[in-house]
Amino acid sequence: MNQAAITRCHAVLAILAMMLVIPHPASAHHGWADFDPMAEVTLYGVVMDFHYVNPHSVVEFTVTDDKGQVRLWQGEFGSPNELTRKGWTVTTLEAGDKITITGHPSKNGAPALHVSSIVLATGKEMKLYGGR
Amino acid sequence: MTYRQRGGLETNRGVTKPCSWIFLAGCVWCLALSAVALGQTAGGPDGIALDEGIPVADPLVISKCGTCHASDERGNMQRVSTARTTPEGWQNVVKQMVLEHGLALTPAEARPIVRYLSGRHGLAPAESRSVMYDPERRFYEETTTAADPLINACAKCHYISRPLSWRRTPAEWKRFADAHAVRYKFRPSEEATAFLSRMAPLHNAEWDAWRARGALPEFTGRWLVTAALPGRGRYTGEMQLAPAGEGEFDTRVTLISIADGSRVQRTGHVAIYGDSAWRGRSSGRATGEPVPDNPASDAREVLWVAPDHSTAEGRWFWGQYQEFGFDVHLQRPAAGPSLTAVDKLSLKIGSHGNHIRILGDNLPAKLRPADLTFGPGILLRSIVSSSAGDLVAEVDVAADAQPGRRDIALGGSTLSGAIAVYDRIDYLRLTPDSAMASFGDRTHPRGYQPFDAIGYQRGPDGRAHTADDIPLGPVDVTWALEVFHSAPGSNADFVGTVTPAGLLVPAPTSPGNNFDVWVIATARDEKDQAGKPLVGKAYVVVTIPTYSMNGRQYVRDLDRWVDIGPAVATK
Repeated sequence: MNQAAITRCHAVLAILAMMLVIPHPASAHHGWADFDPMAEVTLYGVVMDFHYVNPHSVVEFTVTDDKGQVRLWQGEFGSPNELTRKGWTVTTLEAGDKITITGHPSKNGAPALHVSSIVLATGKEMKLYGGR
Repeated sequence: MTYRQRGGLETNRGVTKPCSWIFLAGCVWCLALSAVALGQTAGGPDGIALDEGIPVADPLVISKCGTCHASDERGNMQRVSTARTTPEGWQNVVKQMVLEHGLALTPAEARPIVRYLSGRHGLAPAESRSVMYDPERRFYEETTTAADPLINACAKCHYISRPLSWRRTPAEWKRFADAHAVRYKFRPSEEATAFLSRMAPLHNAEWDAWRARGALPEFTGRWLVTAALPGRGRYTGEMQLAPAGEGEFDTRVTLISIADGSRVQRTGHVAIYGDSAWRGRSSGRATGEPVPDNPASDAREVLWVAPDHSTAEGRWFWGQYQEFGFDVHLQRPAAGPSLTAVDKLSLKIGSHGNHIRILGDNLPAKLRPADLTFGPGILLRSIVSSSAGDLVAEVDVAADAQPGRRDIALGGSTLSGAIAVYDRIDYLRLTPDSAMASFGDRTHPRGYQPFDAIGYQRGPDGRAHTADDIPLGPVDVTWALEVFHSAPGSNADFVGTVTPAGLLVPAPTSPGNNFDVWVIATARDEKDQAGKPLVGKAYVVVTIPTYSMNGRQYVRDLDRWVDIGPAVATK
């Protein structure tokens, strides 16, 4: 190996550990496969907590059935980066807010939804998907 | 300059009632501009306008880069003279030149090249401050809508801080965008290129002012340090900086935990590029059991130095995913007293006999109560003890004090918003409120995640999670982990644990699946209005460290996956 090749080899080895990498937008979290895209339910609930976080925003809400039983549900939808551009903020949903929430239920029967629509008590439907 | 030409053209477009002479003048003006543009293209290397490049004067840079990048008589070098960026940006360029373009370079030669380019073709402090989360390796949610043209074009693959860490001429931005599109197989966005040309020009007022700066204070000598390590609490201490030549320094720092008095001693070496970009490495003397969040761990240092050199701030970090790190603030000692920290971050309204320890430097030997102020509603009863490095004060909080943050002041030194007065804790917030952690495998150590549980009182607007809320400091909690999504067939029993200090420790063996979990903090003493313990949650994805898809290999990097090349076949 000539000197130039040795020099280059050293340089490459010295920086290999910090090699320029190319980011890829692959999902690091679960997709929506856990939810049944063919089924849709609409629930009337009261917000318990709202997590405006990555990778999905999550609303925790209670639903009271016709027998008076209260059950805690969890609805998942977009990231803050998407939702901010549709007018959402961390206070769009607050504890005590009444909402009408529609979504695809969990396949395993857990009280969880992939949310497709949220309508506030004022009647305003908050945009979740698509353009602004 | 090109942006002046654009201004002229816009002036022409602004004419709404053209008459013949105005039209003629407009035509002449356009032709003149075209001629200038043509002259620039022909006159400068690689289309550089002769008056806008940053000449390259360093013999080593000219020697190594000049074999491919020609220079003109003014020293403007193709591609190099039309761009500025951070040390990380130049480091990546040098790597790319070595790996892809056959540049023969030793590490001993690479360092001064990066140093020269980072210093002479770097960013002004006012430019770099907004993108420091990138070199500091922080999770950051880029929700700003001000840079929307970049969201679709750039943020699909990386933070928009990456292009915003560069400054280029419009021609150079177009050249870069075209080459980037070919390299990564996407359609270049004219909107994004125009946005970057407008928002990230080679020349602007900040850069021109910074480039013309005069002599600045020396970096060497003593600095006061305050630092916070998630899960471990806050530290104060001091650093000595000794010259090591060529804008580099040796560092020696002692940190003392405010919570338990434990000491951490670290030594290191830093370069300060362009009088503003602090980049270094340091290590400490580790004692006791080896734990991943040991504050003596080997760390990389990335700090932003203020334009007047009186302060610096940033992060000293380590870990497979840089998930551990001190948030660091440095300040020069003042001639008079300097306050640096306080042990208690909040006091309850109506409480009496609170002992508060205030840390600082050069505190007066004989302190009178009148010298020390805490703001409205906090009544100083006595100075319990005092020394040059700290004092203990006994205070009461009036029953009618208003909730809010208070400054602590002594002499000419003020700790702004250092202590909060509150009457209740309304909610817990975990920091971070979302994160990733990783299982390990044969080649990747586990990726951990430390958490803190911070109490908040709602501010005057009465709503939670708004800007006027009052942070009250860490709350005593218990920690738990709850899986709410797991891949079919996977076993959620082996995701990991959260230690009593709030450190998420993934299982040592990867189950080969992702898990979405809540890290849950439950307050031991603090209750909500219904009498139930306050609870805070953080959404965490515990994931595999690497995977293959469509023949490519991906590894985790902060909150994204990065393509590292063809997948390696495994048997």
